[in-house]
Amino acid sequence: MNRRTVTALVVNDLRQLARNPRVLVFAVALPLVLWPLMWFLTSLTTERRQERIEGRTYTYAVADDTAGVAADDGARAWLERALGVVGDDGRADGTEATDGPAVRFERIEAPDDVAAALDEERLHVHVAWEAGSGEDLPAPRIVLSHRADLDASDSAEGFLRRALERTRTEVREQRLADAGFDSPPEDLLPLERIETASEEQTSGLLLGRLLTAIIVMMMLAGGSIVATDALAGEKERGTLETLLTTAASRVEIVTAKNLSILAVAFATSVLNIVNIVVWMQLDLIAPPAGLTLVIPVGAGLLLLLLYAPAAVLLSSSLLLVSGRSKTYKEAQLLFAPVMLVAMAVAAIPVLPGVELRSAIVLLPIANLGVAAREILTGQYDWPLLAAAWAVTGGAAALLARASLRTLSAEKLITASELDDADLAGGPALFPRRVGRWFAVLWALLLVWQLNIGGGIDSRLLITINLSVFGVAAWLMIVRYRLPIRETLSLRAPAPGAWLGVLIGAPAGLVLADGVVRLASLAMPIPEAWIEAMAENMGAGLPLWQMLIFFSLMPGIFEEIAFRGVLLHGLRNRLTTLQLVLVAGIAFGFFHVDLFRIPPTSLLGILLVVTVIRSGSIFPAMAWHALHNALALGSARVEQIALPEQPTWWHYVLALLAVLLALQLMKRKARAAFS
Amino acid sequence: MSTVQVEVQGLSKNFFDPSRGEVRAVQEVNFECRGSEIFGLLGANGAGKTTTLRMISTVLQPTAGTARVLGHDVVSDPVEVRRNLGFYSASTALYPRLTARETLTLFARVNKYPAERTRSRVEEMIERFGLGDYAGARIEKLSSGMKQKVSIARTVVHDPPVLIFDEPTVGLDVLNALDLQKAIQELRADGKAILFSTHIMSEAERLCDRIAIIDKGRIRACDDLEGLRAATSQHYLEDIFVHYVTGEDTTA
Repeated sequence: MNRRTVTALVVNDLRQLARNPRVLVFAVALPLVLWPLMWFLTSLTTERRQERIEGRTYTYAVADDTAGVAADDGARAWLERALGVVGDDGRADGTEATDGPAVRFERIEAPDDVAAALDEERLHVHVAWEAGSGEDLPAPRIVLSHRADLDASDSAEGFLRRALERTRTEVREQRLADAGFDSPPEDLLPLERIETASEEQTSGLLLGRLLTAIIVMMMLAGGSIVATDALAGEKERGTLETLLTTAASRVEIVTAKNLSILAVAFATSVLNIVNIVVWMQLDLIAPPAGLTLVIPVGAGLLLLLLYAPAAVLLSSSLLLVSGRSKTYKEAQLLFAPVMLVAMAVAAIPVLPGVELRSAIVLLPIANLGVAAREILTGQYDWPLLAAAWAVTGGAAALLARASLRTLSAEKLITASELDDADLAGGPALFPRRVGRWFAVLWALLLVWQLNIGGGIDSRLLITINLSVFGVAAWLMIVRYRLPIRETLSLRAPAPGAWLGVLIGAPAGLVLADGVVRLASLAMPIPEAWIEAMAENMGAGLPLWQMLIFFSLMPGIFEEIAFRGVLLHGLRNRLTTLQLVLVAGIAFGFFHVDLFRIPPTSLLGILLVVTVIRSGSIFPAMAWHALHNALALGSARVEQIALPEQPTWWHYVLALLAVLLALQLMKRKARAAFS
Repeated sequence: MSTVQVEVQGLSKNFFDPSRGEVRAVQEVNFECRGSEIFGLLGANGAGKTTTLRMISTVLQPTAGTARVLGHDVVSDPVEVRRNLGFYSASTALYPRLTARETLTLFARVNKYPAERTRSRVEEMIERFGLGDYAGARIEKLSSGMKQKVSIARTVVHDPPVLIFDEPTVGLDVLNALDLQKAIQELRADGKAILFSTHIMSEAERLCDRIAIIDKGRIRACDDLEGLRAATSQHYLEDIFVHYVTGEDTTA
């Protein structure tokens, strides 16, 4: 990549922006003034409204027949006392004189038509008495009538109601005292709160919940200013073709566009933050209670590093949308859903109970948001921080690659929207679509996992296997007219493959155990998780049902989906090594439980190799079913998920056995899979 | 004789369109272009001229065949190909908020022109194309004639040995079109290999050293004007064109 070329392109983009006064005013300058101004005006309006409410005299009336209703003396006393408070000192809400300005009430004659009087605001609140009768209303009660849509009436009702509630408390306490309970009720079983979190931690939690959402919002708002013009604007103007015929490579162009978006997003974010801080320093706006904007230098630098891939991810998303849009306006329109999705994900740290050490680490941006929250409360889970960074960084790289592809798409230049695969549809189009299908499936599973927690049970497995994998695989086969026999590798394997399964499945289980132990060095598995796994796998249903749900069904449906449809879709786009790794690890990621990803990725890799070498899906099905049955059996027998600590030679033997098993799969493989 | 700068062999391009199905925009096109030569692609709208030139400029990928610019393959070495050519067409626009000088500097840089010579080269282009009084003005403020001069200067600022002009006079008035033709002739005199596409017979007749008549994606004839006249017994290029495209003689 030529730095001079990239610099020239970035300078050009920024120069275009700097010379567009309309964009600068509406997208940069105006928000700087408008947002704080709106904030300021809102608080000003609230203050003014409060002053108006408290400075006026409210009218109330008591229904004429109230006095004639037979009621017990205590209830009547309650009403009269509350009304007395209102009438005597004008402080209807029962506050002390030092609490704020007084609220004045004036009692008027009860009108004949209460509704009309309320409508005309001659009367703000009407008080009536309803006698108690029967089981539904054993004691008499007071009925307040008001107009909730009229400010004065609504406020009057609020003040009067609070006066009544306060008086009721006083009456109740008086009755308790009369009955011989002479200490104040609040002295009974007093509660005391002790806050063990430091002030920084409390404030950090508040800031950590909001920080990612604020940064994402600012980055998107700032980045979109350049992104709309970056490709869609250039396309519409005709300058993109000029650019594409220069010696600048596509990588240089995309890099420059991303850098321009990032530069403007960063600059506008800094401007906005400085702007808000200045307004706060001038006491024109107030930060949320308990929030301090002081971040320790070390944590600040770490956050900066942490947010870097998120920034690239956002800029690449915007660039991708811009590249896929035909016009400037279309790009602006398509930014809205991107922003919605990004904001929804960035708001996840606000949710209570979401920890980085969970499936959330797999969700780009959200993982960094949760990580930021934990950092600001003083928790540094380094392996998980690295994992979150890598996941979001990986997603950013994928999106950057996708935006690069938009520059190679011929529809950028030609009138033709489609290429041969689009036209042919069916099997030719499937390799291009398979990634999207499985991405949607994964997103569904992730949402499910986040909602139902980490446990697995038979219901979950049935639904996943039948509904998600089974139906999705069937839909893909039908939608793309995939040849079933070839797609699912429905061929008889070499006889040795079955021996390979018998050797490979138990050995693979031991290797998976080794992978779990290895991974647990970086990500210690909580005891609660092990217990939950053991409980889920070892109890609940009879053994034969457990074997069906945990062994047979995954062996069939997951194999159809992953070693059938997914493998078929990817095999012509990747080298054999890439295919094994991508399809295998994808299988691991579909077990969205963080601690199950390493061993299931290993299983996925072994099963992909099995299908490639045997040319048949059947040994993989048998291996998968046997693997799960053995895992289930060990859990039932031992009642724990992990067996006794094997020694290193167990793992070496297991590795050799797996290699032997894979060797036995050979033969028809090459011919069948070529 | 000058060396071959552009070499095209069996170049083909298929598009797919939902309503029309497979469209064979270009079919097995062969030609070559040498230095100090203007090679014309003459054809009606939709004949395949622009698609051919876009494949040579690496904007589109060929379905089959090869094209080389100074020996660099358009598929395997696209950046080197583009570094050695300048592409001008009615659809290649300029950045409206840059000045003429900034435009030329930008394109010299992105085309990897040596950094130490960029400034002098830009001033040379400004001088050559008479942009001196307007070099500091934004493109959006310039007349269409001046914009056209900046566009040509932008195309040649990195001094490429090969130039592509794809229907460059579309939308220009007569005087601007003549100015452009004059500039192209001067560039030929500088030793450039020039690929020139047009559907205007008089332009091709006036400018081109050799002409390829292209129809429905195929080259029907390729020779200099005298050779085409001799082969068809027609004097005017218009008649020659009709002869090859429709198979009819208009002089009968």
